Amino acid sequence: MKPNTSFSNGSVAVEAKEMQVYYGSFRAVKDIALKIPTKHITALIGPSGCGKSTVLRSFNRMNDLVASARVEGQILYHGSNIYDTHVDPVEIRRRIGMVFQKPNPFSKTIYENVAWGARINGFKGNMDQLVEESLRQAALWDEVKDKLSQSGYSLSGGQQQRLCIARTIAVKPEIILMDEPTSALDPVATLRIEELIQELKKQYTIIIVTHNMQQAARASDYTAFFNMDGDRAGYLVEFDNTNELFTNPKNELTEQYITGRFG
Amino acid sequence: MDNMQPIPNQSETTPFPEGEALKNQIQWRHRQGLAWRLLFIAALLIAISSLIALLYNILNDSFGYVVVINKVDPQRLALDVVEEQILNTANTVSSEDDFELANGIANDSNGIGFFGIAYYQENNETLKLLAVDGVMPNAETAASGEYPFTRPLYLYTADAVLQNNQAANIFLNYLLNNVNSEIETVGYFPATSAAYAAAQQRWLSANPGLGLQSGQWVSIEPDGMAGTIRVVGSSTVFPLTQHMLEQYQEAGFAGNFGNESVGSSAGLAAFCSGQADFAASSRPIQSGEIEACRNNGRFPLEFQIGTDALAIVVNNQNSALNEVSTEQLQQIFTTATTWNEVNEAWPAQAIQRYIPGADSGTLDFFAEAVYQTSLASLPKDDLVRLLATNISTGRGRALEREQRFYESALVFEDPATWNEVCAAPAGERPSGCIAEPRTQEEVYDLLLAEVIQPDVVKVYNLQNSLLNRTAIATEAAALYPNGEITFRSWLSADFITDPQSSTPEFAGVRTAIFGSLWVIFITILFSFPIGVGAAIYLEEYAADNRLNRILQTNINNLAGVPSIIYGMLGLAIFVRVLEQLTSGAIFGAVESTASANGRTIISAGLTLGLLILPLIIINAQEALRAVPNSLRQAGLALGATQWQTIWYHVLPSALPGILTGTILAVSRAIGETAPLVVVGASTFITVDPSGPFSKFTTLPIQIYQWTSRPQAEFRNIAAAAIIVLLAMLLSLNASAIILRNRYSTRSI
Repeated sequence: MKPNTSFSNGSVAVEAKEMQVYYGSFRAVKDIALKIPTKHITALIGPSGCGKSTVLRSFNRMNDLVASARVEGQILYHGSNIYDTHVDPVEIRRRIGMVFQKPNPFSKTIYENVAWGARINGFKGNMDQLVEESLRQAALWDEVKDKLSQSGYSLSGGQQQRLCIARTIAVKPEIILMDEPTSALDPVATLRIEELIQELKKQYTIIIVTHNMQQAARASDYTAFFNMDGDRAGYLVEFDNTNELFTNPKNELTEQYITGRFG
Repeated sequence: MDNMQPIPNQSETTPFPEGEALKNQIQWRHRQGLAWRLLFIAALLIAISSLIALLYNILNDSFGYVVVINKVDPQRLALDVVEEQILNTANTVSSEDDFELANGIANDSNGIGFFGIAYYQENNETLKLLAVDGVMPNAETAASGEYPFTRPLYLYTADAVLQNNQAANIFLNYLLNNVNSEIETVGYFPATSAAYAAAQQRWLSANPGLGLQSGQWVSIEPDGMAGTIRVVGSSTVFPLTQHMLEQYQEAGFAGNFGNESVGSSAGLAAFCSGQADFAASSRPIQSGEIEACRNNGRFPLEFQIGTDALAIVVNNQNSALNEVSTEQLQQIFTTATTWNEVNEAWPAQAIQRYIPGADSGTLDFFAEAVYQTSLASLPKDDLVRLLATNISTGRGRALEREQRFYESALVFEDPATWNEVCAAPAGERPSGCIAEPRTQEEVYDLLLAEVIQPDVVKVYNLQNSLLNRTAIATEAAALYPNGEITFRSWLSADFITDPQSSTPEFAGVRTAIFGSLWVIFITILFSFPIGVGAAIYLEEYAADNRLNRILQTNINNLAGVPSIIYGMLGLAIFVRVLEQLTSGAIFGAVESTASANGRTIISAGLTLGLLILPLIIINAQEALRAVPNSLRQAGLALGATQWQTIWYHVLPSALPGILTGTILAVSRAIGETAPLVVVGASTFITVDPSGPFSKFTTLPIQIYQWTSRPQAEFRNIAAAAIIVLLAMLLSLNASAIILRNRYSTRSI
């Protein structure tokens, strides 16, 4: 069955077409066709090893860092394939930011953590203002405004993750990729990040990989369910409006997965 | 298991031991752990004890007692200066004959002088005795030492004399028997009982044939004794020896005697050259005189036969003076011309001085007691004069060309020659033409090296010096009676600031320290950037392909190549092939064209740089590998280029690790000897290196070279140099660690 890859309203932020990702000779994901809606939250779920992180990383060419990784097919961003030879991954990453599973602030001051990305990307405006604005958007300003010159590592895990989000926002991306951003956090910190993501979708397109189905259900607008084939290659099973997917899955596998019968 | 016990209270068997078997099994595992633990403790103990042994060895050789023999006694030199001043003061009459002095003062109402108190006693109607610092000389103040100018009177003889001249031998016995009862009639005071007992003991030791124990004494009747006795020496002691010789004759001595008053120095000289049986002296024998005696086969024996209180006397008519102070005496005998210059209450008449001559022990004693000068405190002019009288003009000229003594005057060199020499072009001019003149301190050091020439004849290690102090003192006194035993720290400020020298007493490590610092500077400059750069390439950029794997393996193997092979490489490449470059020839930086070759600091630095390059690369790679990948991803995800990510995040994170690795590598380079020997470090060089193209030596080379010398003292300075090397190593490491810690806290 061909998976549903469309959504009813709004425009497409980024689109994967016939995408295959190989690690050496091993095909990790196959035949991905996916349209990510602009200024919405799209969750990628699926069992371990199904390639959802690989798909996510393909959107801003972070897979380039893995020497053996190779992407076939297309990822269209503003109408052009980001894997075209003339496209510089540095520019793609400036437009498509990323937040990682474990908080990874730089070992610099809180201020520098936010300002650095903007500075190297040639930001010409008022840096203090940008830092404050970014930290406010990341709902961290009130907690750190008096200790901007302290190390980023002096913060708690949840604060560090919000700092990483603030840092990503500071370079004004269009899309923010989040790779299980709350998996290393406690429930309270997780909730705060989820609330933050809801705020952020007003300005940014967000793609989030999560292991937590409740999180996908309550925090996302759209959900893509991935599964793994017999050859261990991941593929997209179903993509739909989150409510629709969780209440009325079209695919039997999806239903089995969301009801906890496998995965 | 055949001896397996049935398990108690256990209905079914389990595959695990239970009960007693379980306890035993656990205990056995604990015992295994304990055995390993003991093994580790033993390993630690071995490591610690070898470290302690190392330190012990170094410290043992670096400090300890030494016996020093000065070619010239420094005190003697200082006294020479003072005596010269005294003798050259106007209105001064000097004579070796104290009667002449006594008569002079008796006939001169402004006369003042000093001599043995016996001469005053003989002329007490015409002379007036002065109190010194409020104390009159008499038997009590002399015995208690209250009178400042109390001094022993000596008779010197030798074993050879006592064995070959029975008349002299028996005379000494007679003198020691009777001197204490007779001395007061001459005008002197008895020696202390300890000194007297020591003198008797010495006579007994010289007459082992008598079979007497120490503490026993025998008096031998001189009845019918024939022979000749000859006494020469101090005019002070003369009345005493004369009196005793006359008494000896009265007691039955049938031979002849001669007694001459020529001064202590002249007397000792005559005795040492074998012209007399006894030398009478009013001062102790000096090390140079002992040396002269021994060279003639005479080992001087010292007998204190009495005590003198040096009398300061004026004319009986002089009513103004009753007492003087030591300070006033200093002025009276040198600077003052009239009495009232010293004390306003005294008459305004010229002082007339009557003093013993230059050969007299009395003058020596007076100069020492009143002026209390030490050589180091003498003014520069006096030191230069001493140098001029004690070294050859040729040597003096050489020293003056090296560095002159005065800004506007020449001491050794002829002015015309000097101007000619200094007119030469800059490169050929001697350094003395432009260098600042020598300071008092420098002249003193020169005097020490050129004239006094202290020679360490025996060294004791620290352990012996601390534990067997008395044994060392007796041994040194027996073996080197003219030696001076002092505690010497071979590691001293002078040792660090002096250049290399062929005499271990004056050798220092300054040149080697500068050499080491220069070489290490070049090494770091070369290997740190290249090493870190290579590591960054291999870790961050290089693809995982065959070529890079071969590179990596090669680097790992290079780290294990013996250092001597790097020395061969350095010799072949830097010294030979790149000679034009490493000798500085193409930069025009060659110091003297004749010796231009590639055996320079830069060759050594580059060789050591190659040696530690693999270590730095491997350590830096290790540090870079330890930087979490998430940091790189964080940078790249923000749109940073790979280089920006490396420069701003990866390198700062890896820097502490890189620096630690570099410190270890550089520490190894500082201590390297073998490659530098091959590359051609100079083994003897006294000129500090002035740049990368200088000839050089380093501390390890210096140590290596000193340890291979036969003289024992070189071992001591090698040990001291090891301490310097260790200190340098530790302080370089400490400063690198401080720098690293500062850096890593700041980057937070």
